[in-house]
Amino acid sequence: MSATEPTRLDVPIKQPHGLSPRVRWLRDYYFTGVARPWNNEFQCFTTGTPWDVVYDEISYYIVPESYAFFQPFRSSALQASRTVAVPGGFWAWSLPERRAWFIRQVVVEHLPQEVLPGDLVAGGRFNILASRCWTKAEARGRDREVMGPSGARAAVKEFHDRGYGNAGATSGHLIPDYARALRIGFRGIHEDLAARLERLAPRDRKGPKGAQLRAMMTAATMPRDLAAKYAAQCRRLAGGEAGIDRPEAPGLAGGLDANRRDELLQMAANLDRVPWEPARTFWEGVQAVWLTHMLVLSDENYPGAGVSFGRLDQYLAPLWQKSLADGMDREFGKELLRCLWVHCNTVYDAMIKVGGNQGITAGFGQLITLSGLGADGRDATNDLTWAFLEVIDEMTPILEPKPNVRLHHASPDALLDRVVDMVAGSQGAPFLLNFDERSMAGMMREAERAGVQHLINEGNVWDYASVGCLENTMAGNDRSGTVDVNLNLLKAVELALTGGIDLVEAVDPITNVAYPRRREGPDTGDARAFATFEEFFRAWEAQTRYVIDRAADLYERSEGVRARFSPTPYVSCLVRGCAEKALDVTQGGAELSFVTVEGVTFATTVDSLLAVKELVFDAHKCTMAELIQALEDNWEGHEVLQAWARNRAPKYGRDEDVADGMAKRVMDVWADQVWTHRTKCTGRRFRPGMLSWNYWAGDGFVMSASADGRPKGRFLSNAICPTDGADTKGPTANANSVGKVLGGRARDGRGDWGDWLNSLPNGASHTITFNPSLLRDPEHKAKFKAFLRGYVENGGTALQINVLDPDVLREAQKHPADYRHLLVRVTGYNAYFTAVGRELQDEIIARESHRGV
Amino acid sequence: MGVPTGRVLNIQRMSTEDGPGIRTTVFLKGCPLRCMWCHNPESLSPRPEVVVHTERCMDCGACRDVCPHGCDPAKCEACGRCAEACPTGAREVLGIDWEVEALVREVAKDRAYFGTSGGGVTVSGGEPTMQAPFARAFLSRCRDEGLHGALDTCGACGEDVLRGLAGEARLVLYDVKEIDPERHRSFTGIDNDRILRNLDALARWADGRADPPALWIRTPLVPGATATDENVRGIGRFLADHLGARLARWELCAFNNLCREQYGRLGRVWDFAREPLMRRGDLDRLLAAARESGVDPDSVSVTGAARVDDGAGA
Repeated sequence: MSATEPTRLDVPIKQPHGLSPRVRWLRDYYFTGVARPWNNEFQCFTTGTPWDVVYDEISYYIVPESYAFFQPFRSSALQASRTVAVPGGFWAWSLPERRAWFIRQVVVEHLPQEVLPGDLVAGGRFNILASRCWTKAEARGRDREVMGPSGARAAVKEFHDRGYGNAGATSGHLIPDYARALRIGFRGIHEDLAARLERLAPRDRKGPKGAQLRAMMTAATMPRDLAAKYAAQCRRLAGGEAGIDRPEAPGLAGGLDANRRDELLQMAANLDRVPWEPARTFWEGVQAVWLTHMLVLSDENYPGAGVSFGRLDQYLAPLWQKSLADGMDREFGKELLRCLWVHCNTVYDAMIKVGGNQGITAGFGQLITLSGLGADGRDATNDLTWAFLEVIDEMTPILEPKPNVRLHHASPDALLDRVVDMVAGSQGAPFLLNFDERSMAGMMREAERAGVQHLINEGNVWDYASVGCLENTMAGNDRSGTVDVNLNLLKAVELALTGGIDLVEAVDPITNVAYPRRREGPDTGDARAFATFEEFFRAWEAQTRYVIDRAADLYERSEGVRARFSPTPYVSCLVRGCAEKALDVTQGGAELSFVTVEGVTFATTVDSLLAVKELVFDAHKCTMAELIQALEDNWEGHEVLQAWARNRAPKYGRDEDVADGMAKRVMDVWADQVWTHRTKCTGRRFRPGMLSWNYWAGDGFVMSASADGRPKGRFLSNAICPTDGADTKGPTANANSVGKVLGGRARDGRGDWGDWLNSLPNGASHTITFNPSLLRDPEHKAKFKAFLRGYVENGGTALQINVLDPDVLREAQKHPADYRHLLVRVTGYNAYFTAVGRELQDEIIARESHRGV
Repeated sequence: MGVPTGRVLNIQRMSTEDGPGIRTTVFLKGCPLRCMWCHNPESLSPRPEVVVHTERCMDCGACRDVCPHGCDPAKCEACGRCAEACPTGAREVLGIDWEVEALVREVAKDRAYFGTSGGGVTVSGGEPTMQAPFARAFLSRCRDEGLHGALDTCGACGEDVLRGLAGEARLVLYDVKEIDPERHRSFTGIDNDRILRNLDALARWADGRADPPALWIRTPLVPGATATDENVRGIGRFLADHLGARLARWELCAFNNLCREQYGRLGRVWDFAREPLMRRGDLDRLLAAARESGVDPDSVSVTGAARVDDGAGA
């Protein structure tokens, strides 16, 4: 084959390796998807009342793709429901008691308890949609607030369709206190609740506090009763009863060997004990964590998005060490973790048949936090951390759980070497990287702004962990609603141009009906009459305050509905503060209770402000009236002006002081305004963060053209990243810009943590794409390690690394403007991929395809 | 004494190919050689130049409106008016004057990434010795700031000029392209006498210093020119004889034609535009020749990629 013939693709896609036949089978079986005889699809259960609701849309207010399906899901889930008989007097109980009883009844008595062939961890089906257990009056009252033209649903839709973003009280997205559940067992949790109930004044015992504690006590017995069922099932299988067949080896479960029988009997013995009693062995610990975790998903009727494990390598470490000392084979310990890995993936079965395997597509983010600083200011990496990293490498590619490795100035070289090797071998990191100093600075800022220094301080902030993707919280006592409000900051630029009116008419895509075009934001004056950029900036500030206020008001609606109608007593057992206050986690029971506003479109907003300044006030390329006209026309007929906005206006992300200075101004304005809010019904303080999930793509088709040169229909900027193609100065400049806008380092040494400053306690998602050639040999890997160490000093809170594959290069060929930053590195010379000719690009693609790592 | 300014072609951050660690490479404009394979043709002239990125041009005519010469390349004085008027950045002036302090501030931005990797700043070109007062002042200030400075030179300069710059650097990257004087002349426009003498003198000078810069030699392997066993062996013998243990590293840099678009932008023809990457087998053979030439075999390495269709060992 000669170099001029079509390129040969030989992409070394990362494959799992080193798996036992047991785990390979479980993994392969999982990925057969809809062809699997066993799955964990939602099962639906009703009390049988005609007004019952089993699908609660509120958790999906932040998923615009699902808006059109609320009514069909509500109807079809109810139709698919089996009726569970409720005991006499049920309807006289309080709502949390009804719900706790119903969930337990469904999970223990109506979901089948099955163990997959070879599995070492019990706990199969947990995805349920269960009756909300509302009385007729409650159902009416709740629907009055949700349905109809003035209901929460319509308000959420309008907010999205007009381009503001979305907001809703969402499930998941917290780190339950699994560590405590391991330590004292649910028996300990139950006893604590009973003692608290006992101590309540008689009047409180009869009221909502008593009801809440009783509901939590019912919920606390659910893991015990479910474990007993699974123990019985394990013993049946050990006795030779047929279980789930392996399709390629039918009867294997029945004709089990002595080894498997012993495993099943040990599993039964484990389940006799945990999660009710404290875990004594690593196997018991993994079993207890899994059952405890999956019941969170059952309790919320929500398949796990963001329900995160916290620092699993830390709180399981004593059990790991003890079992190793007692003779556990280290490889067997890892086998338990691999089984846990497979279990975590079954969350996606929830809607597996909707569109065929559709569920197995995206990251739900059951996050495991690894490594990081310990109590003594030293690195906390231990042998279990290493075992986790080995398992991640062996199981990758796989979707869940999602690991997040914490790095800091004292991270050991060996850990960084391992991290870089895994990045090099996996088309990008099989984990997120979190950066402790900047992250802890954000948490300390939060403590100060919210006055919770007694709960977050120098003495414990090192024990923070991440939720979902990279959202920093404390563990076990913190519900920070990390994805509950997703606000397009860019909307305020639009409103500043128009004085508070949508730039172009917004349309409901379901009904095709236009929304009335009227003044919604404050009347900040006619932008065409502004004499200086500062006048425009002040208008933007006012509109920013408005969009944040509006988002908080919108959030209040679903938060209030959830607080009154959707208690989660089991989750409340696992969040410190709920028992103490006898208050459900949905009502603000957690010790730390925040709502996070995720600022979406940050860079597009900054670049748009910079473009207004450049086009209208600095370079005088057009008048404000002409700019507004160009945006109304979606830039059509204004291509030269658009080109100037795109190419000649300054951009955030190049480590240039003018542009990054504007970015910092934007950061300060919006973050300050977020802190001014608190939910009225639950008293949760709002805090800022930057994560854009998929909104930056989807809302690009909703939001009108922006002054940075972006037409409607093009993607917005992602989280804290510069706009696509803007970071022409490379990864270090990009990372420096991100660190600077978060606050950088305090010159006087008095930062939020050390001299690090951070305006975003939640953290900020940052993605950088690298060329594989940067990781091609040990020398270059060492350079990459140096980049990560530099990121600790200068960068943001979290980094997602993509190592570019040929498909991305092909994408770059199709859309060169979005990939102008892409450096190709060969022999002492660096070239921008999009600036070299097509033929040469093909050659580079072929080379990258071939090189692999 | 006036503060010297330097004419900078480009500042490349997170460069991984110009010395140890992560580096910021400052490419200065102007070079005394005219290597026929030159990878950086925009760096040859010491004067500012206007380049045209045709793929970005939207043919709006803004450049023609402002150019006093009707955009005739033959009459271009690189006044920069077209680049100033261009909405897409298709027209760009190469060769921006920087003051030393501003440039030090610029390169210091990546200090955090240099630190742990032995990285720092590389002054390259072009040929930095053509802007010796500036390059020396800049390297000196980098040293003051605790930044590891490297000088990347072709060695075609005065001996004392070279020594002056090397004295401010922690590393010298020194090109030895061709050992045969006549072939060197035909490839680059001058013979290699001065280059080799300067290298020898640099090594002797370093012998007498307490903390001399490390010395890395770089040899471009250009098919049909320098990529011969004979040349590699000859350079190796010279290095063994004259540098001895002073030679910290010898990089054989495999040819690539990534820069051909640059020639296009400058409106020039390049003989190597269609030259493919070298074959793995050829690179291996040249590496072996270098390692057997008398230098420390461990000091020799090949950088760069081999041709894709070359299955074995790729």
